[in-house]
Amino acid sequence: MVVAASGIAMRGISKRFGDVQALAGVDFALRRHGVHVLAGENGAGKTTLMNVLAGLYQPDAGEITVDGRPLRIGSPRDALDAGIGMVHQHFELVAPFTALENIVLGKEGGGWRLRKREQRRDVEALVERYGLAVDLDARVRDVSIGVQQKIEILKALFRGVDVLILDEPTTHLTPQEVDGLFSTMRQLLDGGLTVVLITHKLREIRGIGDRVTVMRRGRVVGTLERAEATEARLVELLMGARGSGGAVVAAAAPTPARGAPILELVHVSSLTDHDRPLLDDCSLEVRGGEVLGLAGVAGNGQRELAEAIVGTRPISSGRLRVGGRDLTRAPVRDRLLAGVAYVPEDRLREGILPRLSLAETFALGPHHALFKGRWLFDERRVRKLAAEAIEEYRVAAPNERLPTARLSGGNIQKVLIARAMLLAGMAEAAVLVAMNPARGLDIGTTQFVHRRLLALRDRGGAVLLMSEDLDELMRLSDRIVVMYRGRIGGQFAREDFDPYRIGALMAGTGENSPAEEALAVLGKNGRGDER
Amino acid sequence: MSAELFVDPQLLRLTVAIAAPFLLAALGELLMERGGVLNVGIEGMMAVGAVVGFLGTWGSGGSYLVGIGAAMLAGGLLSLILGCYAISLRGQQITAGLGLLVFGLGLASLLYRAAVGVELAAPRIQVLPSVAIPGLARLPVLGEVLFSHDLLVYGAFLLVPLVHWLLFGTPLGLRLRACGDNPRAADTLGVNVVALRYGATAAGGLLIGLAGAYLPLAITGGYSDGMVGGRGWIALMLVILGRWLPWAVVGGALLFAYVEALQFRLALVTKAVPPQLLLALPYLLAIVVLVRVYRGAQAPAALAVPYDREARG
Amino acid sequence: MATSVEPAPPPTPTPAVARHAVAREVGVYAAAILAALVLIAILLLLAGANPLVAYGTILRSSLGSLGGFGQTLNKATPLVLGALAVAFAMRGGFLNVGVDGQIYLGAICATGVAFALGTGAPALLAVPLVLLAGVAGGALAALPAALLRAVWGVNEIFVTVMLNFIFLLLADYLATGPWNDPLAGEAISRPIAAATQLPPLMPQAGTHPGILIALLVAVVLAWVLNRTRLGYSIRAVGDNPIAARVGGIAIGQIAVAALAVSGAVAGLAGAIEVSGYHQRLIVGISPGYGYMAILLAVLGKQRPLGVVVAGFAFAVLLVGSDSLQRSVRLPQSAVLVFQAIILLTILFAEAMRTGGTGRLLGVVRRRLA
Repeated sequence: MVVAASGIAMRGISKRFGDVQALAGVDFALRRHGVHVLAGENGAGKTTLMNVLAGLYQPDAGEITVDGRPLRIGSPRDALDAGIGMVHQHFELVAPFTALENIVLGKEGGGWRLRKREQRRDVEALVERYGLAVDLDARVRDVSIGVQQKIEILKALFRGVDVLILDEPTTHLTPQEVDGLFSTMRQLLDGGLTVVLITHKLREIRGIGDRVTVMRRGRVVGTLERAEATEARLVELLMGARGSGGAVVAAAAPTPARGAPILELVHVSSLTDHDRPLLDDCSLEVRGGEVLGLAGVAGNGQRELAEAIVGTRPISSGRLRVGGRDLTRAPVRDRLLAGVAYVPEDRLREGILPRLSLAETFALGPHHALFKGRWLFDERRVRKLAAEAIEEYRVAAPNERLPTARLSGGNIQKVLIARAMLLAGMAEAAVLVAMNPARGLDIGTTQFVHRRLLALRDRGGAVLLMSEDLDELMRLSDRIVVMYRGRIGGQFAREDFDPYRIGALMAGTGENSPAEEALAVLGKNGRGDER
Repeated sequence: MSAELFVDPQLLRLTVAIAAPFLLAALGELLMERGGVLNVGIEGMMAVGAVVGFLGTWGSGGSYLVGIGAAMLAGGLLSLILGCYAISLRGQQITAGLGLLVFGLGLASLLYRAAVGVELAAPRIQVLPSVAIPGLARLPVLGEVLFSHDLLVYGAFLLVPLVHWLLFGTPLGLRLRACGDNPRAADTLGVNVVALRYGATAAGGLLIGLAGAYLPLAITGGYSDGMVGGRGWIALMLVILGRWLPWAVVGGALLFAYVEALQFRLALVTKAVPPQLLLALPYLLAIVVLVRVYRGAQAPAALAVPYDREARG
Repeated sequence: MATSVEPAPPPTPTPAVARHAVAREVGVYAAAILAALVLIAILLLLAGANPLVAYGTILRSSLGSLGGFGQTLNKATPLVLGALAVAFAMRGGFLNVGVDGQIYLGAICATGVAFALGTGAPALLAVPLVLLAGVAGGALAALPAALLRAVWGVNEIFVTVMLNFIFLLLADYLATGPWNDPLAGEAISRPIAAATQLPPLMPQAGTHPGILIALLVAVVLAWVLNRTRLGYSIRAVGDNPIAARVGGIAIGQIAVAALAVSGAVAGLAGAIEVSGYHQRLIVGISPGYGYMAILLAVLGKQRPLGVVVAGFAFAVLLVGSDSLQRSVRLPQSAVLVFQAIILLTILFAEAMRTGGTGRLLGVVRRRLA
């Protein structure tokens, strides 16, 4: 292994978290200038490796050299001193602070006073130079994710980094914002920076990388120069030369005449304490035997919509019907009994009982129907059902008494899906509301989840699939509607799926933008074409 | 009983004086919580501050400085116990706080008995003398109410703009607030989260110890078990009531001090109302106020959540 | 379709590994208690006592004689009941710091009913009524906190603490005023009729059957927690209130149920103290049982069985310290210090063992804001 005279080299890096070997002897060489893509599926170790470089994690073994000199990066500050900065997937911003405060935090210029004026000038210079339009006095909690990302980049630039690591930066961006990000990256390169882009999206790898390093299961499996990075070669490295492991694509729905509408939202609105509409006149309907995809950038009301359907958020006006029954004011319990099965996006926070057993997590929700009208909680019956689910869904757990939090993310998701299916099976008409169900899962589990969703559809159930991954939506949905700023609009039948038109609606900016026009033409109605 | 009773200058003056321990304890807790550490053991810490302050003054033959210094030191040490558990060991802060509370209450009583033994007449000290501010003390009403107090009262109220400036006008304050809201963000920028949290905790402990010492040194002149009487809990609530802002905390402190002062007054004036009912007033008020408080109070987001740099997700 | 790529499942804990983990936990506990004993010994030395003699005295006076053992059982009753009360609510993530106040209101109601029944009613009827009054009183005392929590999300810690002071003052008023016994003393009420007093369990030892009631309550609460829907709901809320809500559990109702039961158990302790121990309402009916109960609930890991054991251990400490008071001039407050030291050492030891990873869900954080 040749140690580059200039640039950063990581050698033999290993890192273990408990039982999991996240990194196993990784070698990574970063040449100065240009974009180096670090690619791999979820869980491959890309973020972990860069977290080591950025000083957040300490490696169990291995060393790092910068321009030939060995360097110990013991903390994020050490990394910054070495000129290495990282923009994480989940932003690290102090929500109640302004943009300027977030940028200067930690580098306020010494002394006892906050030098607001001088620092503002310095930051504005950076804004000018790199074209990162940010209102420095806006509070972070009030701005969009795209702007937050710019603030994160400014944070790093303010500290004079020459290596900037971007971890899955396009996750929450619309297609248009992604273009904006890439143009920003070009400006950064012009300014002499080196960029490391962590991604799992094939499109991005091929679009912008000068070099690509592919990781799988904690090891580096190959490094390619731009010219060598053909799609075939990339796929081979990413998947492990075991075939494409083709993504699940939905066959057309079995019955052309779909069932009766199971989930209906009619002009549903939900207001905050300060009367700000989080959901604004939303209407949609999902019939039995169909998958309705809900596209949208995070933060446009999807979470609130899910909460309104599930019952954890009150509906201020409009009607919610499930299987024909009006459940607008019904408590969560009644909705569960009526067949509303929910697979939340934030599994750990909203889905599981971490310290209680797998069986007890599995029972949460179905237990209303299982023990309806009774005071006793039949633990044995619950354990039996859980054991069956573990078997059927091939959950990697020794038994159903394991504390739920010990499972890996993928296995937790399997349990949640199994639970939703159990719930759906116990009701007459069932609608599954799934929010980003495949987030953070490896290919195998993703396929599994998708197959189960489609299976429910094929059995006559209704599926409302909310996702930020357009690819996923386009592969699985029968229809797609778009959510933007609390409103639901646009209606695309399967034949008409077009990522750019959908993306335009997702962004919906400007007075006479294509999005506004599209919305006007298609109307705010998200109902099916069939009358 | 006339309406004048409720705005009598004497009463208002007493209010300002009684507000001092509430204010000191609340400001101390505010600093801690702004850094992200929750201390529910204020009551116990104040008890220790009271006994140490009293014994220090009494034992040194009347030196307030010794008493105050010792009380602050005691408060600081106790808060560091909590700090170590909360920051370095990342334990459950409420449980440890309650343990510290019980420890403090018991220790205070123990120390008193060990030092004083069994005597027929409880030892007493001279309370802090009031220092009239020349010129201002001669103002008609305000002079008596605001400008003729002991030094600790002035100190307590002067601390308010000082703490405000510290939190919002200095880099140190910016960093501390960041630690309380998103310690990971601060850490990635090279801010020493651990040191700042310890610092805020210790500083808070100093103030809480001082607040405890105020009770024997400036109000009663002696120590008795249970003299803190729930003030520590009320101080905890004042921080929430004041939305973690120094200037807003003053309002709450004055409110409770007013009720407490009123209680003394009413007990002297009417025999019809049972004294216990009057004594219960501050606690009833606290419950009422609490209900109002629970609307949109914005706690520092990382309050009572331990920070682990290597935690995943 | 290619075979899917599955991550390796986590290694299955073998029985040997599981036993090892349990042994380690017990070991840590033991080490912590040892450390606590050393710290307490230092304190005793500072107070001028010989620690070994002191420990010996404690054990002998509480367990060595029939009378001492009887006292220990008596003292264990309010400790165990109080701890059960706190632990039950804690399983749901609710912190009932108001056990003192609930003991007082329970004692007040029990005394009131006892006075109302007078000498007329037969003991078979009177005693259960008096105890029931205590249960009702305790539940009533916890109700404001429960309702405020359920309806407005007001943190129950504050409310229960404030109510402590209020109910103590109420008891003070009654014991010094309307119910006062001028012959007995300032803050002591008239005695209750013999028919309303708990019959003795071991007359030679002066023990009342309260301990049996406490053990029965422990069994009942354990059953409720593990075998009923209410218990499941409480445990779910305690583990992850957000997920519980998404799972259709009405958190407000659970809060009321958990806190009401908690208060009821504490109120029962108050009634037993009046009916079985003091036979009067006195202001000192709870010498800090409320705070001790919290320590015990934590030490007993919030499980009914653990709490019973811890409660008994503390009772040994309490009774033993009483006799120490006479021999070493150690005030009653010393016991609080000892108990707190034990708790803190165990907390520290446990935190050091688990490496201090912050808990997954900031349940604690949500409690307050």
